[in-house]
Amino acid sequence: MGAYMSEKKYTKDHEWVSIENEIATIGISNHAQESLGDIVFIELPSVGNSVKAKDEICVVESVKAASDIYAPIDGEIIEVNNNLENDAAIINQDAENEGWIFKMKISDSNQYSDLMSEDEYKQFLEQ
Amino acid sequence: MPFAGFNMPINYKTGIINEHKNVRNHSGIFDVSHMGQILIENNESYLCKLEKYIPLQLNKLIKNRSHYSFLLNKDGGVIDDLIISNIDIKDKSYLYIVYNASRKKEDEEIFISCAPNAEKIYKKNCLFAIQGPDSINVLKNIIDIPNNMNFFDILISKYNNKEIIVSRSGYTGEDGFELSIPNESAENLITHLLKNENTMLCGLGSRDSLRLEAGLSLYGHELNENITPIEAGLSWALDKKRLEDKNLNGNKILSDQLKNKLSNKKIGLISTNKSMLRDGMTLFDNNNNEVGKITSGCFSPNLNKSIAIGYIKSEFNTDNPIFCEIRKKLELVKINNLPFVKKNYKKNGSVYE
Repeated sequence: MGAYMSEKKYTKDHEWVSIENEIATIGISNHAQESLGDIVFIELPSVGNSVKAKDEICVVESVKAASDIYAPIDGEIIEVNNNLENDAAIINQDAENEGWIFKMKISDSNQYSDLMSEDEYKQFLEQ
Repeated sequence: MPFAGFNMPINYKTGIINEHKNVRNHSGIFDVSHMGQILIENNESYLCKLEKYIPLQLNKLIKNRSHYSFLLNKDGGVIDDLIISNIDIKDKSYLYIVYNASRKKEDEEIFISCAPNAEKIYKKNCLFAIQGPDSINVLKNIIDIPNNMNFFDILISKYNNKEIIVSRSGYTGEDGFELSIPNESAENLITHLLKNENTMLCGLGSRDSLRLEAGLSLYGHELNENITPIEAGLSWALDKKRLEDKNLNGNKILSDQLKNKLSNKKIGLISTNKSMLRDGMTLFDNNNNEVGKITSGCFSPNLNKSIAIGYIKSEFNTDNPIFCEIRKKLELVKINNLPFVKKNYKKNGSVYE
């Protein structure tokens, strides 16, 4: 399918991360999208910001609730998905591809290895 | 989602926005069986006791009509808001009252103290609301609805040879009906209604966004025991004659409030960007002084923006800019007259506001 599927990993906060050439692409999981319901607005992070893993860096607003998105690993925000500015519902339609939220240059690839694989995330959801 | 002791769906398969639009454009069905329904015999002694709490002349209620009203505490605060109707069942006259699930305990204490043989019927009767401009078309081949039935008319009809209570009412700002039907026929009725492909089941999420667009108050948000109907902008629902009656709880406070300036007023707000306005957010003037609070907020599918209802200090000049604190930032919001979306009720054969 998409270009970001190569090595997808997941956090306990329901973000997905995939890495290509030390650039991480981050979004929220399909499960997160389903539980949030219709997403109407996203406050995107600022390009150039350096962030630490677990920092709150942006907010997704659905008709039900606002929820914070955390940085999954340390790094610098280098790009955001501006398409979401006009149409945040892209996340509902395709959370794990077209609905990517931001890209980071990562500083510590070990942090990435510690995240859950797709199977581990599925098990985590069943718990 | 847990709601007043019930497990309630926020939405069904297609989501809140889709359900909302379907109600505005066609119709949607809400299972509101969690709400309280009670029958009280229409006799002088019960009515007299109830009039301590309910600001209506209960012996003058027109048969087959419903009224929006309240239970009031001794300070005129709202114990609950409710719909009260005068109907005959099997040749006996009753008051039929529908009230909030979250207030069953408080309300029933009052109902039973006034009328010990009051009959709670929500254990044996489900309550469904079918709402939207097409509701009449979905219902008319299934249940007998007279052509001249207007908004807030109520009558006894039949389904599967069982008596059901049909009222033309609801809480979405649209034309629609509420049906109180014996449990054993409830599933049949819903399956029957859903055969019409223009209607669908709707959850609490769209119920909230629809009532908010229509500017309707919700208990626990715009209404509570510390606020009177007048402070909530609902003085139209009070029978002014009853305010002179010492038997009515809070009658003096309410009459004074009608004459004097209130300290707060209810307003509608629209977001000026894409931020969401939500219950509990604080409002400020341009000098950073707190001027009010939001009591309900949601995304409005009709306006494609976030909308809210709140209370602000009466002295605040609404021509001045007003700001809402959203995630520690102050964002400009716009004051808007209520309702946000025009009501579409049926009266005298025509649709009126």
